[in-house]
Amino acid sequence: MSLLNYFKTSKPKTAALAKERLQILIAHEKSMQNQPSYLPELQKDLLAVIQKYIEVDQDAVSVVFDSDDDQETLELNIILPEHQHT
Amino acid sequence: MSIDPQLIPSDTPAFEFKSSTITVPVLNLFHSEISIITEQLQAKVQLAPEFFTHSAILIDVQAAQELDLTTLIEVIRGAGMHPIGVRGGSSAQQAMAKELALSVMTSQHEPPATEPEGAIKPVPETTEDKPTQTPTATIIETVTIEHPIRSGQRIYAKGDLVVLAQVSAGAEIMAEGNIHIYGTLRGRALAGVLGNENVRIFCSDLQAELISIAGNYRVSEDIDDSARATPVQIHLNKQALIIKHI
Amino acid sequence: MARIIVVTSGKGGVGKTTTSAAIAMGLAKKGHKTAVIDFDVGLRNLDLIMGCERRVVYDFVNVINGEATLNQALIKDKRCNQLFILPASQTRDKDALTKEGVGKVLEELSKTFKYIVCDSPAGIERGANLAMYFADDAFVVTNPEVSSVRDSDRMLGILASKSKRAESGDEPIKEYLLLSRYDPKRVKLGAMLSVEDVQEILSLHLLGVIPESESVLNASNSGTPIILDEDSDAGQAYSDVVARYLGEEVEHRFIEEAKKGLFGRLFRN
Repeated sequence: MSLLNYFKTSKPKTAALAKERLQILIAHEKSMQNQPSYLPELQKDLLAVIQKYIEVDQDAVSVVFDSDDDQETLELNIILPEHQHT
Repeated sequence: MSIDPQLIPSDTPAFEFKSSTITVPVLNLFHSEISIITEQLQAKVQLAPEFFTHSAILIDVQAAQELDLTTLIEVIRGAGMHPIGVRGGSSAQQAMAKELALSVMTSQHEPPATEPEGAIKPVPETTEDKPTQTPTATIIETVTIEHPIRSGQRIYAKGDLVVLAQVSAGAEIMAEGNIHIYGTLRGRALAGVLGNENVRIFCSDLQAELISIAGNYRVSEDIDDSARATPVQIHLNKQALIIKHI
Repeated sequence: MARIIVVTSGKGGVGKTTTSAAIAMGLAKKGHKTAVIDFDVGLRNLDLIMGCERRVVYDFVNVINGEATLNQALIKDKRCNQLFILPASQTRDKDALTKEGVGKVLEELSKTFKYIVCDSPAGIERGANLAMYFADDAFVVTNPEVSSVRDSDRMLGILASKSKRAESGDEPIKEYLLLSRYDPKRVKLGAMLSVEDVQEILSLHLLGVIPESESVLNASNSGTPIILDEDSDAGQAYSDVVARYLGEEVEHRFIEEAKKGLFGRLFRN
């Protein structure tokens, strides 16, 4: 057994790598699937409204959809710019 | 293009008379009842107006010698046609024709055409509004294809079909006439699709899924392997397809 | 003016995406700016095979709909800076792709890219049609197996009649045969169609033969285009294909069974 092992170059166990990649990917895609289709547009519109009153970055607004057994929630986060002292 | 007339010497021939054969439709009248003729003529023209408009017409009044030519010519011109001459008329009609500046045709003037001089009819008889054929024989050109015919493609030829490449399995080639395949036939070939039983299929390597002449067909299973990889011709003999080596 | 290559087959599972990834990487490594586009809306795979599945933000449909620019959607490959990937949408359906939309994207890409590889989905429906519609060259991936050969032939017919070049009477799409998953041992035993058999039935110029290889599975597991595995025979075969496509005279290897010595048998590829 030892001689053969000596000659055999150890090839990376790619199946394990594949499994890891898929787990991450499918978990992500499952969460994406439940998202209602209006989310990207909603986020864009909200950003436009906010920008009418406050100067915020393009990524200042985020809308996240969450659902569990009991309820579905829409979480809105707005990051305001750093307060500038005059 | 116009050349300054002053530059052409006056003794150079300006024209020549050449004997020529043209075919012209003949309006063969069966009687002299002008009102009926008018009605029917107008109805006929309605069926295929483009066919009649501006077409030259020869009028045969052999059976309508009581007809008043002036009225008739008016009707014909009104229908859009250009009468160029009158044939078989009485002496009174001939005189009238000359007055109307139409030529008087006698048998000498008849072109040695093989055209049947019958009653004028718009070809085809269907009520299509655009017949593009004239009463002369239409030459149907052979369809020649130089690229391989792939699975799923269908080719239809009104005359003969010549294929200079292979015909893949799953392809279908059809012709009203003969089919020549200078390549391997793996698909379906149907010749004489409108019923012509005298057509043939010629093939240099017969591996067809199906062959047919005038609806009489044979499938691959029933085609002997000996016909493969060698030039063969297929013809119909009393409803049976005969495959022969060339 | 970019050269647009469609990698198509008709039949599914014959190696289109593997080929697209390998060819695109091969061309990019030779210094040509290359984009590879996944046309399989709803069942995207190219990003997985390329190993960039975690960097997908915007996709082909987003760009067509104006929801993102090409620059935002294109993913630059980490191993070769001349290679860019445009992933397919995973959530929309096939009707999201339009001829006009695809045409516009390809036109924009043509301004800066040298090669555009279109990874076609299987079948002969919209995705496959749009992938081949604007192509200049077609790599028809075929397995030496009856259904694959028949489907490739069908696809060839479509390439010859339904492409933009065919419709406008231009010079037709240049068709290349890529015979993949070839096993010389089984061909010798008479259990598999040979290169000659397939060429005879399809009547097509042979671009390359890719041998059946275990290394292909390893490559997709790790998200690495097979052409980067220089020890792999399939990888080498793809390198040969790229060279041949670019005009080099390369002899076809991998058609005959490799003569393996003692060490070869130990290090099974």
